[in-house]
Amino acid sequence: MKTKLIGLAILLAVIAAAAVYAGVSQSRAATELNGYVGGEKTGLLDDEEVQKILQNRYHLSIDYAKAGSIEMITADFQGRDFLFPSNQTALELYEQQYGEPVRSEIILNTPIVLYTRSAVAQALLDEGIVSEQDGVYYADMALLTECIETGRAWADIGLPQLYGNVAVSTTDPTKSNSGNMFAGLLANTLCEGVADEASLPEILPRLTDIFQKLGYMESSSADLFDQFLKTGIGAKPIIAGYESQLLEFAAQNPDTWEQVKDDIVLLYPSPTVWSSHVYIALDETGSAGIDALLDEEIQRLAWERHGFRTGLYDTPSDPEQFGVPGLAAEITRVSPMPDADTMAAIIQALS
Amino acid sequence: MYRKFLPFFFFVSSVLMLFTGCSARNPAGGTAGSITDSPGASSEGGAGIFAESSADSGEPDTVLGDSRQVLRIVSGSENQELEPVLETFCRQEDVQIEMTYLGSLDIMRLLGEDEISYDAVWPASSLWMNVGDTRHRIKHAQSISVTPVVFGIRQSLAESLGFVDREVSVNDLLSAIRNGSLRFCMTSATQSNSGASAYIGFLYALLGNPEVITLEDLQDETLQTEIRELLSGVDRSSGSSDWLKDMFLEGDYDAMVNYECLIIQANEELEARGDETLYTVYPYDGLSLADSPLGYVDNGDDGQEELFLSLQEYLLSDEAQNAIQRTGRRSVYTGVSEENLDVFRTDWGLQPDRVLSVIRMPDTDVLFECLNLYQTDFKKPSLNVYCLDYSGSMYGEGNEQLVAAMEQLLIQENARQNFLQASDNEVNILILFNGGVISSYSAVGSGSELEALYHVVESQEAGGGTDMYAAASYGLEMLQEYDLSQYTPAIILLTDGMSGGSFEEFEAAYQELGSEVPVFSIMFGDADESQLQELAEYTNARVFDGRENLTEAFRSVKGYN
Repeated sequence: MKTKLIGLAILLAVIAAAAVYAGVSQSRAATELNGYVGGEKTGLLDDEEVQKILQNRYHLSIDYAKAGSIEMITADFQGRDFLFPSNQTALELYEQQYGEPVRSEIILNTPIVLYTRSAVAQALLDEGIVSEQDGVYYADMALLTECIETGRAWADIGLPQLYGNVAVSTTDPTKSNSGNMFAGLLANTLCEGVADEASLPEILPRLTDIFQKLGYMESSSADLFDQFLKTGIGAKPIIAGYESQLLEFAAQNPDTWEQVKDDIVLLYPSPTVWSSHVYIALDETGSAGIDALLDEEIQRLAWERHGFRTGLYDTPSDPEQFGVPGLAAEITRVSPMPDADTMAAIIQALS
Repeated sequence: MYRKFLPFFFFVSSVLMLFTGCSARNPAGGTAGSITDSPGASSEGGAGIFAESSADSGEPDTVLGDSRQVLRIVSGSENQELEPVLETFCRQEDVQIEMTYLGSLDIMRLLGEDEISYDAVWPASSLWMNVGDTRHRIKHAQSISVTPVVFGIRQSLAESLGFVDREVSVNDLLSAIRNGSLRFCMTSATQSNSGASAYIGFLYALLGNPEVITLEDLQDETLQTEIRELLSGVDRSSGSSDWLKDMFLEGDYDAMVNYECLIIQANEELEARGDETLYTVYPYDGLSLADSPLGYVDNGDDGQEELFLSLQEYLLSDEAQNAIQRTGRRSVYTGVSEENLDVFRTDWGLQPDRVLSVIRMPDTDVLFECLNLYQTDFKKPSLNVYCLDYSGSMYGEGNEQLVAAMEQLLIQENARQNFLQASDNEVNILILFNGGVISSYSAVGSGSELEALYHVVESQEAGGGTDMYAAASYGLEMLQEYDLSQYTPAIILLTDGMSGGSFEEFEAAYQELGSEVPVFSIMFGDADESQLQELAEYTNARVFDGRENLTEAFRSVKGYN
């Protein structure tokens, strides 16, 4: 008898709550935006706080399909409201094909970094490829590239437990942004400047050779990072990714981060390149997403919970909050990406 | 926002139903309450579990729990070992999980289809998921556990080959295979991740360990000769890893290529029955990892997405990860915890602390060329004896199904679409039977000789009694004319299974041949499984339902032989 009454009470409460919710949801019907998003930003868009702000302040909800930054420009985006790739090259490629978009804006920034394990970092320090300054580790791109090009084995740099030659695993540069930007960075390194059409004939064969040896490459930065963390030193000794990925991981999974932090090392390529996550509105509906994502509080959440630097030259106030050793307060050693035509030629050569 | 409230509405409706006693259609759109297999029986080995192989359109292989909230998962068969863990979730959360097992490469192909009638995919490796998901329908993919592909070799044999307590290269294994001292089983490289991984490892070793395999490498004649020779050492093959393990335990074999976790499971059973266990060899230049990603298929149903996420969260919880480690899998991030090290027994050659350094998978176009060559050229040629039932009970629908099936197989343009095409040295024999053998035909290779057989199939009329044992026995007699070590032979019955004649007659012919030829069956018409199951169990094979998904049945049969 008693249980039946409790059941009845629950039922009534539930019905009351349902009625309230139905009323609330009617008064605030949200417009749903639909678009392609690079995998590294799904954490931000799935964040309930962010969704709440989008809903309450802007009456928006965002639904997305994951796609590589380069891939999404060439994909069929019929019926989508926006594209949210991870670099400006994608925007330039879009403009070349379709002309000026309805609207576009840089929403987030993060530098390209390398992730590795402590044993590998130590070996690279011993080789002089990596150096430390004020607790931040920098990888000399020229020396690292030379090590890769000359085909040195892991065993040659004191890591006999690793099979094969020194390599940096990246995403497929013809599909995904982090791999694409790392290719741009390698191109710059090979020509000892910023790669342009004049330097291409010399560097393309070398670049093709480096990427060809990598074999199969993931097409999503998120998948690559996930595999790096989960499958251990032997599967992915070094990967190229975004700084935001590790910061987000540490902020979202503090317990797991505590378990693995001693073994994970963040290396800043010297120089590195900025990944600017640009939102491309494909229609008027989509353009509302820009103002919403530039909301001050969303931008704050983007840094604190997802690791994106939001003002390009602003120094975030509290890099210590992540508990990530070696996180640079400022990103100072930066080179510009090669221009869109040069990158298009690089993508072409690597396809 | 809306998706957060869906479970809440489920709750409302289920509370209402509690009071009114009415039943409702599952709002999530799944099929409720069709239990085809008792969960308790599913953790045991044996070919029987797979008897009704289902595919994307068919019934699930196993149903766990009983609820209106249904999650349909298509998974690599190795996850069959995780059913008890999934069951705990079903009980706790009142969810029904329907598992359909397929090889990882078959899951990859399924991802390319217009409609994916599953809520989640769970292949062995993210490689196949990412390559297959060209339309970006997979979300929230997370690796659940990690296990390497290794060799398990009978302890005494591993010792005599000198593979114990030292680093072994793929070439060490290859020379043992070449000189005939090591024969092994592996899954089909075009169907299953473990077979594909091992095969790619072999190619690297034969090419002298280049940084990556190229298309030009594959044209090398020395390589081609060597890989054919190597694959001729394959004793038996299968379309999925767990079934390979079961087959291994049923038969009398020396070694298998399989996941570390399945070597552990096999050893637990071997030890329990007092048989010799397997020693685990990790070829240092040919290792690959299965990272077991569980991904959500986005068909736009927010309720299913919530349900999926709660399952995923459970599987990654400490409690579930502990149970998963007990099945011989390594946890992501942290590997094997102290308390579970006893599962990874060092006396079985297991190395839970080993750095798992892997080979590089070739780029996709090279990878697919590798697989294509495996199917059409490199693997040991099949010697298929198809026994076709033309008895009276097959008249009409059954016969139409049979003819349509053979059209898919014999007409090479059709066959190619499903990786079923014949190789150059393949032998196909047809035996048409009713109350006795009507006629028999054979064709070598993949050309007009083979395609001409379709005319025979099409023009024969059905009628008379049934004796499939006589047909199978006749097939065994025909096999005596071949050097079976040069082929992977199989007898495949296409029948409704209702037969006169005697099993003993078949048994006598089987003993006389003295070779372990599997007798598969593909059922048609008004099928009755019991007699076919008896043949499958006796010969360590399987029964398929050709009415549900024929391609799958053929793919499986060809993978297993």
